[in-house]
Amino acid sequence: MSAGPYNYSYIFKYIIIGDMGVGKSCLLHQFTEKKFMADCPHTIGVEFGTRIIEVSGQKIKLQIWDTAGQERFRAVTRSYYRGAAGALMVYDITRRSTYNHLSSWLTDTRNLTNPSTVIFLIGNKCDLEGQRDVTYEEASKFAEENGLMFVEASAKTGDNVEEAFLETAKKIYQSIQDGRLDLNAAESGVQHKPSQPGRNPLSNDQQANKDNCAC
Amino acid sequence: MPVLTLQRSYKYIMYATKQPSLRIKQADLKCKSGCGFYGNADWEGYCSQCYRNHMDVERQKKSHNSQMPDQSRAQMSGFTKFEEKKRQQTDKKNKYLKSLPVFRKSSNVKDSGRPEKYIDIMRQANPDANKLMVEFITQYSQYGDIVKKDFFKCSQAFSNKVINELEVKPIEDLAETAQNYYNLYQNRVNSNSIYEDVPSEIREKLVEFFEKYTMIILYSFLFCPPTTNDEEKDLAIQNRIRKLSWVNAHHLDCCISETSIEVRDLVYTAINDLLGMDSMKAPLEKLACVVKCCRSVVEVLQHCQGGPVSADEFLPALIFVVLKANPARLKSNILYVTRFCKDSRLMQGEAGYYFTNLCCAVSFIENLTAESLNNMPEQEFEAYMSGELTCVSAWESALVACEGMHQLCEHLAFLKELSERTQIVQNTTQSLRDDMQKLKEGICDSVESVLERTPLIIKPRINPLTLTKEQLFTQTTQYGPQIETTNEVNTCTDTDIGQNYYLQNLSLTQINALDSTKNKLQLDITPCITLPEISKALNSNDFLSSSSAVDNKSIESITPDDNSYLGLSKVNYDIDFSDLSTENSVAEDLTPEKRKSPTPSFVIGDPFSPIGGSCPIAQTPLVPSSVFPQIESKNDGFVLPFLDDTEENVEDSLLDKVEVAPSASLPAPLVPTSSEYSGFSKQGSRIPNIPCSTGDFSSLNFAGNSNM
Ligand SMILES: Nc1nc2c(ncn2[C@@H]2O[C@H](COP(=O)(O)OP(=O)(O)OP(=O)(O)O)[C@@H](O)[C@H]2O)c(=O)[nH]1
Ligand SMILES: [Mg+2]
Repeated sequence: MSAGPYNYSYIFKYIIIGDMGVGKSCLLHQFTEKKFMADCPHTIGVEFGTRIIEVSGQKIKLQIWDTAGQERFRAVTRSYYRGAAGALMVYDITRRSTYNHLSSWLTDTRNLTNPSTVIFLIGNKCDLEGQRDVTYEEASKFAEENGLMFVEASAKTGDNVEEAFLETAKKIYQSIQDGRLDLNAAESGVQHKPSQPGRNPLSNDQQANKDNCAC
Repeated sequence: MPVLTLQRSYKYIMYATKQPSLRIKQADLKCKSGCGFYGNADWEGYCSQCYRNHMDVERQKKSHNSQMPDQSRAQMSGFTKFEEKKRQQTDKKNKYLKSLPVFRKSSNVKDSGRPEKYIDIMRQANPDANKLMVEFITQYSQYGDIVKKDFFKCSQAFSNKVINELEVKPIEDLAETAQNYYNLYQNRVNSNSIYEDVPSEIREKLVEFFEKYTMIILYSFLFCPPTTNDEEKDLAIQNRIRKLSWVNAHHLDCCISETSIEVRDLVYTAINDLLGMDSMKAPLEKLACVVKCCRSVVEVLQHCQGGPVSADEFLPALIFVVLKANPARLKSNILYVTRFCKDSRLMQGEAGYYFTNLCCAVSFIENLTAESLNNMPEQEFEAYMSGELTCVSAWESALVACEGMHQLCEHLAFLKELSERTQIVQNTTQSLRDDMQKLKEGICDSVESVLERTPLIIKPRINPLTLTKEQLFTQTTQYGPQIETTNEVNTCTDTDIGQNYYLQNLSLTQINALDSTKNKLQLDITPCITLPEISKALNSNDFLSSSSAVDNKSIESITPDDNSYLGLSKVNYDIDFSDLSTENSVAEDLTPEKRKSPTPSFVIGDPFSPIGGSCPIAQTPLVPSSVFPQIESKNDGFVLPFLDDTEENVEDSLLDKVEVAPSASLPAPLVPTSSEYSGFSKQGSRIPNIPCSTGDFSSLNFAGNSNM
């Protein structure tokens, strides 16, 4: 498909959040590079990665912000929640404390993102079945109660990593199609590339708004 | 901050040197044309001014080539060798990105309609710009509407221009446009009559505000624009810094002590300042973050050295901080500031100095080799870079330890909170318990007071033998049930059984004259024998009118303390008694039964009680066998309405005082079943059932307790 100068029609902004050492950076690395980064230094502040995926024939560029789990950088990382279309909330299935902290992560996410933000719960390190500390059932119940999507994944083996990112994108794309997500909202986390003529259904509304503008 | 004297004598800057060095001279930061301003790697080592001149020359040289992308690529190739080398290193990493034409957008494929859409997008909600607009209005409105109008007109013109050129021109040209507009506005503020009344310091602020406001509006188009490969560069340096995470202060020949807690905290402050840069939108604000960070670095050094800081020490420390911070989109931020921050700010002053240092630090990081790190052996460097060799640096472990400490504190705080909450729960429980006790006492008190006010005392039966018939009739006004029985004496004398019964009753009464509801009940039941005769009287108008009188009265206004009503009700009773002695007696007797403790023996003693069901054995023989069945059937017919009537009185006296829900356990027989007395039974069923349970004091108390 040809889409003019850009070969993607949307940019979706994601954030990855969760406690220190749950494997956020590894998940991102696995998704963008398809490699496991065994000795990953702790993230300071935020790092980012991108990848272009395809959903329903539309090329979408994912701009993923991998945040630091450390409390010390919470002030910095919080500024990245704003305008995220997708939030991947990660815990480590071998460490219960990371699971226990989910509710506070969720509160942060709900408070700092907009209501249309898709939240996906990932139980990472599912390759370490022997050290499991949080059952699948328990986490899936938590996800259900809070209306989150949920998988157990492994950044090491790559299990379900792709799925988590793609499912989130599908859900966001669906929201756009349904009109639940307003592309013109200030912090929708989705950018529509103006590369395709006629793909911007909001031009007319915009024209009307122009006259109301104070300046 | 020690004064860093600028030495203008040096002509060549560090960018010309092949080897990145930790020790750079002040002059190395200067423009390579020797004009004295700070140079910048992104300006190929020139200062902004000289770079533009240089670019113009370049452009002329290539004027035969009209293709913009080639030109921007030519500019790219103008970067240092290291830039290229570094890119080759990261090429592998970014293969997937390179395969996409996105990042190499050719700008000559263009239709004139496109810029319009950008304007549309620009219209989308921009809370930051709106905030600034409000800020402007509050700060500068005093200088008149005309200033405000002009300001917004100019910023509008600028943003429209940039947006229209966005896809037509390379980002460097847009940067130039921006600089031109900044200057234009500055000249306008200083020369146009509109701004005549504005003081000069405010004029400067206005110029600054112009830059800030327009850049915040244009941020999403000009920061890391998709027409450039800025993002690619960001990813490359991010990756590189991650790979260099093993580098420590010693490698950098830097005096930062990584193990000291205070130093670490100061370094963290510097790191946080630098990290804040990416969240800012205006170049001015980003620059302010850099300045803040660098000041913190100086503080760190001062702390470590305990004295003044030389410029030589500053750069390694800054490199260390940049390496540890790995700030997001570092390249994009630097490029954005170099392109769109007002030139003059970057070319001189503290901000210019620090920003140039940051650029040097980034350049060093991009190009460093084993040699640059305190002459580390090449193999060791390679081993570190490939991840073969890992070392847990003091910094890294301190980070983990910090988090451990943090979690510990978090848990302690959580425990404290929990114990506080437990205390609160305990306190509330205690107060709840007290409240319950108070409520209980209150209910008991009010029940008692109600009982005192409305004594439904069954007075001892007056010996009927001493009374004449007339006397008995007068007595009825007070002692309905008893009189009934005496009344019966007259009606029943002809029956032997009746007489015997009566006599038997009398003797019983005398024995238990003072207070025994049980006995009274038993006594009162006896008149039942006469039921058949009296049943006719029930139909009489007399009876109906009297009962309706009670009803009317009760509907109108009856307070429990209404003595007149109580009296009246008693009168009514009596009227009834005269005709329906038996029925009344039963009715009256039921009430006391309910009020006193419902001992099983008592229930047995009450044959007409709806609960009691059959007649007690003791009394059955006394009732004529021929009449007995009739009594039972009639009983349901008209005794019960009366019963309700009696209860109504009780209810009226108690209702307002004690709020106890009517017991649903009232037996079904209370509802009249006989169709004969439809008027009466209607009334009876309309009357609430409450009294039956309210009459029962013991059950009342019990209910009160259980409700609590
Ligand atoms: N076995 C296994 N180990 C993993 C997996 N994912 C991550 N790890 C390891 O977990 C450690 C932490 O991973 P990171 O990705 O750095 O964790 P993080 O969430 O980014 O941590 P912060 O950046 O400090 O917030 C690393 O040593 C990884 O090797 C996984 O799926 N399986
Ligand atoms: Mg990380």
